[in-house]
Amino acid sequence: MTRRNFASRAAGPLLLGVPTLFLLALFVVPLASMVVLSFWRTENYHIVQDWNVGNYVTLATGGAYVTFLIRSLVMATVVSVVSVAVAWPVSYAIILYGGRYRLLFTLAFAVPFLTGEVLRVIALQGLLGPLGLINGVLMALGAAPLRFIMYTNVASAIGLVYLYLPIVVTVIYLSLLNFDARLIDAAKIFGASPLRAFFEVTWPLNLFGTLIGFALCFIPCLSATLAPRFLGGPNGTLYGMAMAQQFGESGTWALGAAMGVVLFLTSILAVLAIGMRVNLRRTGFTGFGRG
Amino acid sequence: MYITLDGVSRQYGSVWAIDRVTMGIARNEFVSLLGPSGSGKTTLLRIIAGLERPSQGRVLIDGVDVTELPPHKRGVAMVFQEFLLFPHRTVWENLAFPLRMLKLPAAEIEERVRWVVGILSLGGLEKRYPNQLSGGQQQRVALGRGLVGRPKALLLDEPLANLDRELRQEMEVEIRRHQTALGIPFIYVTHNQEEALSMSDRIAVVRRGRIEDFAARTEIYDRPKTAFIAQFVGRSNRFEGTADAGGNRLATRCGARLALPAPGLTPGSPALAFIKNEKLRLDAAGTGAASGPNRIACTVKDVILRGAYADYILAFGERELNASRPRSERSFLAGEPVLASFAPGDIDVFDEKGEQAA
Repeated sequence: MTRRNFASRAAGPLLLGVPTLFLLALFVVPLASMVVLSFWRTENYHIVQDWNVGNYVTLATGGAYVTFLIRSLVMATVVSVVSVAVAWPVSYAIILYGGRYRLLFTLAFAVPFLTGEVLRVIALQGLLGPLGLINGVLMALGAAPLRFIMYTNVASAIGLVYLYLPIVVTVIYLSLLNFDARLIDAAKIFGASPLRAFFEVTWPLNLFGTLIGFALCFIPCLSATLAPRFLGGPNGTLYGMAMAQQFGESGTWALGAAMGVVLFLTSILAVLAIGMRVNLRRTGFTGFGRG
Repeated sequence: MYITLDGVSRQYGSVWAIDRVTMGIARNEFVSLLGPSGSGKTTLLRIIAGLERPSQGRVLIDGVDVTELPPHKRGVAMVFQEFLLFPHRTVWENLAFPLRMLKLPAAEIEERVRWVVGILSLGGLEKRYPNQLSGGQQQRVALGRGLVGRPKALLLDEPLANLDRELRQEMEVEIRRHQTALGIPFIYVTHNQEEALSMSDRIAVVRRGRIEDFAARTEIYDRPKTAFIAQFVGRSNRFEGTADAGGNRLATRCGARLALPAPGLTPGSPALAFIKNEKLRLDAAGTGAASGPNRIACTVKDVILRGAYADYILAFGERELNASRPRSERSFLAGEPVLASFAPGDIDVFDEKGEQAA
């Protein structure tokens, strides 16, 4: 075997192997340890290694954990739908009218990322809170303050949309950027009105990108901690927030680990549920190669 | 006329991409818009389609002023250079698309798609997606999608530019056959003169947003109206020279003397002449007078075999001449001295503005 031949043979395993090791070390191992921990117990801030399913029983029956999970699912769904609904016209407008400033517009959406999540949530608290900008101005004008944005689930939802909208805009923008807009011309020539052309061509061909945007918003929303904590009210506890408490104040790490496993499975199920409904061919996906 | 463009202009910024174009196209007619890239021919097609609005002028289709109508209300169809098939739809669904938009009953859609699958020999490919087809197959689907809705006119924007030569020639014959069978006008945009010549009834030569000439294909080829057309259509030998005192002879810069069929040049003025490669007759040197007008003694530099004919590259002093002769004639070898000659009627002469002079 020649040297070059060997190099080209080694390239495949090497290029695939390194990411595999990376995934194993940083993703699979921590996750596995989390699963193991979820079948142990914590007592007085100590981990007790006796195998049991008590944590899962607690999650299924005790307290408000099921409520938190359902509330989180509803919250994540609403936030993701709103984000997609806002991101679509914004991305579309950037593609259509952005001209040479397209990239600049897209980057501008990422600017809030530069400040960090805590700061962004605090800033929003300053906007929505009882003494915040909106209600402060309203009260100064002698009007009644808007109660539904003060420490409520609506406030949490606004916060989450604010946090994840840039991601959704970026993903949908990239999808539209790869979309051949001349297909719209073709649809129009063959008798489709502009609205019809959108639903026949533009929407299905960007559905895949839209769903990725949806998932990239939905999944972090499920485990969101900061926004509900600072913006949500007494009825605003979300699953992610409750989970964070297990690792913090309560010190019930094993229960927290079990919550993490449930969250992980829920996210996987959500992604699968979306994925099963999508026929990639119907989104113009061409990654199958020819034939 | 079935399709009429009346003083159509299109302005981009300060540039007139289309400048006062007026032309009429009959039902049953195959018309080519022939021009170099950037000449405005595609813009003209998009204006007829409604994808682009004229800044001035009117577009009429079948007697109706459609200038203000959006593309989906014009009833025309189009075949694009990049095919633009819907990638998320099968061949069958792509073909059914125009019919669904017409809201035809399912049975009729089925029948018409079957018809178009038949005439374009797409049988067996109905369930494939566009990216599973070869370039030629995609082209046929694009053509089928254009024909299936029985449009008022079919607009073709360089539809064969992405196909290889052999396939292109096959498709030329096929496209022409469908046009004849369907009896609707085809407006065909191309920069390829061979395509335009092989299919069209009439050719409009487009240059800088204007129609240089719009005439029968034989007219365009045999009697070019301007120097631009003579240069662009067919392959020719170009001569620059000065008219003599009688206005019917041309002394070229390269040393040849051309006798024109009729006087028409201003004596002493500069002029351009073109002689098509196939009009240059070749004889062995020494047969007849070597000097005199319309006779050029030169040497064969190279011979390029094209099958039925041969292209000769001839050396005449500093410059090269090109002659194209059938293989049935006597052939010459590289290095052989030959006498090139031509008839006065085969010279296309233009004055310095490029207008026809004789």
